[in-house]
Amino acid sequence: MPLSATDTIPQEPGALRRLARMLWADKFALAAALFVLLVVVLAVVGPMWLEGAATRQNLRGRNLPPFSLAQGWLGVLGADALGRPLLARIIVATRNTITIAAGAVLFSAVIGTMLGLVAGYMGRAAGQVILRLADVIMSFPSLLLAVIVLYILGPSVANLIVVLAITRIPVYLRTTRAEVMEVRERMFVQAARVMGASRWRIIFRHILPVVLPTLLTVATLDFAFVMLAESALSFLGIGIQPPEITWGLMVAQGRQYLQTAWWLSVWPGLAIILTTLSLNLLSGWLRIALDPTQRWRLEMKGRRNG
Amino acid sequence: MINRLLATTALALAVSLSSALAAETDVRIVLSEDLDLLEPCMATRSNIGRVILENVNETLTEYDTQGGGGLRPRLAERWEQQPDGSWRFHLRQGVTFSDGSTFDARDVKHSFDRAMNSAMTCETPRYFGGMTVTATVVDDHTIDFAADPVQPILPLLMSLVTIVPEETPVEFVRDPVGTGPYAVTEWTPGQQIVLTRRDGYWGEQPAVTSATYLFRTDPAVRAAMVQTGEADIAPSIAQTDATNPATDFSYLNSETVYLRVDHSVPPFNDVRVRRALNMAIDRAAFIGTLLPEGTEQAVAMFPPTTQGANPDVKPWAFDLEGAKALLEEARADGVPVDAEFTLIARTENFPGVTEVMEATLQMLQDAGFNAKLQMFEVADHERFYSKPYPADRGPYVLAAMHDNNKGDPVFSMFFKYDSEGRQSGVSDPGVNQMIAEASAATGDERARKWSDLVAHLHDEVVADVLLWHMVGFSRVSERLDWRPSIATNSQLQLAQIGFR
Amino acid sequence: MFGFIRQRAIASLISLLGLVVLVFFLSRLTGDPAALFLPIDATDEMRRQFREIHGLNDPLAVQFWHYLGDLARLDFGDSLRRARPAIEIVLEAFAWTFQLAVITMAIVTAAAIAVGALAAFRVGGLFDRIASVTSLVGASAPDFWIAILGIVLFSVTLGWLPTSGTGTPLHWILPIGVLFIRPFGLIVQVVRGSMITALSSAYVKTARAKGVRSGPIIFVHALRNAMLPVITVIGDQAAALLNGAVVVETIFGFPGIGKLMIDSILQRDFNVMLAAIMVTALAIFLMNLLIDLAYALLDPRIRH
Repeated sequence: MPLSATDTIPQEPGALRRLARMLWADKFALAAALFVLLVVVLAVVGPMWLEGAATRQNLRGRNLPPFSLAQGWLGVLGADALGRPLLARIIVATRNTITIAAGAVLFSAVIGTMLGLVAGYMGRAAGQVILRLADVIMSFPSLLLAVIVLYILGPSVANLIVVLAITRIPVYLRTTRAEVMEVRERMFVQAARVMGASRWRIIFRHILPVVLPTLLTVATLDFAFVMLAESALSFLGIGIQPPEITWGLMVAQGRQYLQTAWWLSVWPGLAIILTTLSLNLLSGWLRIALDPTQRWRLEMKGRRNG
Repeated sequence: MINRLLATTALALAVSLSSALAAETDVRIVLSEDLDLLEPCMATRSNIGRVILENVNETLTEYDTQGGGGLRPRLAERWEQQPDGSWRFHLRQGVTFSDGSTFDARDVKHSFDRAMNSAMTCETPRYFGGMTVTATVVDDHTIDFAADPVQPILPLLMSLVTIVPEETPVEFVRDPVGTGPYAVTEWTPGQQIVLTRRDGYWGEQPAVTSATYLFRTDPAVRAAMVQTGEADIAPSIAQTDATNPATDFSYLNSETVYLRVDHSVPPFNDVRVRRALNMAIDRAAFIGTLLPEGTEQAVAMFPPTTQGANPDVKPWAFDLEGAKALLEEARADGVPVDAEFTLIARTENFPGVTEVMEATLQMLQDAGFNAKLQMFEVADHERFYSKPYPADRGPYVLAAMHDNNKGDPVFSMFFKYDSEGRQSGVSDPGVNQMIAEASAATGDERARKWSDLVAHLHDEVVADVLLWHMVGFSRVSERLDWRPSIATNSQLQLAQIGFR
Repeated sequence: MFGFIRQRAIASLISLLGLVVLVFFLSRLTGDPAALFLPIDATDEMRRQFREIHGLNDPLAVQFWHYLGDLARLDFGDSLRRARPAIEIVLEAFAWTFQLAVITMAIVTAAAIAVGALAAFRVGGLFDRIASVTSLVGASAPDFWIAILGIVLFSVTLGWLPTSGTGTPLHWILPIGVLFIRPFGLIVQVVRGSMITALSSAYVKTARAKGVRSGPIIFVHALRNAMLPVITVIGDQAAALLNGAVVVETIFGFPGIGKLMIDSILQRDFNVMLAAIMVTALAIFLMNLLIDLAYALLDPRIRH
């Protein structure tokens, strides 16, 4: 059994280089990291770069099949029902999609985790109140929440983030609480308590790091869930509507063409799948890379490969 | 365990086979939405009408939209206007309800009074707005309807009143009893409704012995069900699924798509701006691309098969330069043509609505309009569609779809063009006057007055942006002899279905 | 134990009441049901009457007071659209959804725990890679793709299964197949994650050091420890299913509560909406109670 004693070897390279080497060791994670990087770059530059091409309609080129360069490289994924190149549209839609998904996941994860830590570690009364609150949110249909918020405040990206974030809070809350309840009984937490560490110090320095990997897994999966939930809301006529675009909206709009022009919904769907897959592979890798007791798996491989 | 599983599967197969092998004269019809009610007085609502209208509950008169036969007798054999302006209906004799009771004038009176009763929320009163109608039983087979003011199209209005027995309570019923050739024999909400042919129908016995109505929201599934033989008729499928010429048929579905413009709001109070809106949209470019082949360019709010349609009015020609010039001219006169306005449309309004609206938006922008698009779900859309119009949302143009399959323009014109009309953007005393005169006229004069109004609204007032009369698609099993028609949206008479 | 359950019941009742208050007042801010039920060109008089009949003209507080009064007598009111008691409609639909959810979750749980645990046993191995990727693709693919694809393949092309509807066991295969995919993907991931942690934790190492070589023993020990977060996720997924599976219900014409809920929300059929939310909430509260009991069973250190 290899020891984590490697940490103490004097010539150990810098943390960043070590991470890079561990990433190199896992080719799947490397590919995933590159894809996520691409998505982020496209989210930043996409709208400025291709806004024009993505909205220019061409009724003669409607539902143009993919894999043809007749319409230039942007037409390689085919065109939608209004003859707009799908590749350009997917790229332009990246920003809205990622903003909504990341915003919703971030807010729900942070709020949910905080509440979960409190519910799991603090007294029973606080825990009960928070959990029953989670029950209420879980039983409140997300569609109704969306209808209420968007009817009263009007549809916008920010309002949509609020709606999706609220509906996802219970997932993090309950997962965190479940983990905390297990972790707080462990030896090292008990030890810290005996040594007089403050409550918050125990929560943030001792419990949170142990809980974090599971939350990371849940969060990356939630990314896909949020993108698809946004798609479902668009489909029902609530949420983001044209001419704004998101991947979810493109998937929803392509639905009626699924049997005649599959590419309308398959490419944006694939973008969702690939993003989720990459984030998940990356979180899986990160989980191992950050865990002193697991790290050897990557370091061994890196050494063997390099 | 495995044996049990096999047995279950075999049983399941047997059950599904036996249901597939039901009598050859049984049909299955797959509709897009479940029925919330089976109430006869709501039969003017298309989802309910398609099941019970003329199949279970009949009407005194019947408007023949497809054959061009005009108004025909059904439970009334004939009718005439009395000297005082009231209408006398002579009822068919020897007619019985499916519960065995005999049909007479008291049933008619009860049906009418019940449908108009304010303790119920039937659709019927909307057709009798602005008049008081009294039914008086003369004898068992004669009934008078007196309207104040005198109502020239009362016999046509009677095609919208379904007849129920005198004993029917004044509340929504779930087991409609009628004089039609079929009776409701099963209703499992969310799953199916079964109509069975009954003995003792007064008319010719139809070929179909029973009809099972199923409900599937997804158009692709409805199309697939006819293909696999799980259903015989899917009255409404998507254009994209209508690929088999042997089973798939298009029909003009009596829906008209238009953009409503509020004349009281600048810049739309200027007729040049409204003309420019009309000239900026290339209506023909949509047909055969985003909208199916067979869609017609609209010049009126009601379909061209209606009395009063005006074949001399020509659709606006697409003229981008002309539109730009008009806007320029208006701008020079100080009309705020550069003010941003919203094009508001409803999601799921008709197939491909989003794409159609995005293309419309682009055409408006190309002509120089400062427009943006906003799609809303139905309840949100309704806030903008009906008066009082919201004042705090800035100027907007509203895309909507209107259905008139009732055979007379009166069901459209008042609501859409009168100053008091609930969805009207026009406030023009001349138009009000013309609507009132046409509504009061009869026969050829009535048709002429409506035609004149259509031309006036389209060419002089430029009341709105009329776009298209829409088509729908049905998929029909090859074993049936039945074609969809303009009536299919609101009714589906089983008696008209034959077998090959 | 019974004290705990009683306490929980009271707490849940308070949550339920809070939920009803929230839904009652918020949903009434979202538009007039009369405008949606009546034809677009209905007269003002017709609209007023509709509201009168359904008690929508009273001040909100009065309406709520009446509603609570009726509720105390277990009267959930009539549907605005269907002229039937709301609770009848809701229970009919919920019965279907409940069956679907229970069957699906039973299959999902068994399959996901087996696959996830096996994947965790050799991290980075072939089985792990395949299981992870396929379950992830399944979990992130739009469900209507799978549903339509299933119908095209198994019903239209092969003719093995009916396209949609209910009636025979065969009708259940496609809906369950489609519903299976997302929770399966999610639970596999969580099982795998917690198993990795559990297998590397101190006591498994201790067991190994003590010479416990046998795979199954370690496996069972680790699994037991990894179950807490897994049960939580299973609970969340089951809750999602109990709230209705809208896509599956709409595509397969399955008369469940998801479609009913959506329709009642979009049509502003308040009584049905409230009844549906209360029934599903009750089911979810009960399930969360079961989950907490399961925690206590699995981990004696967690006491209530």
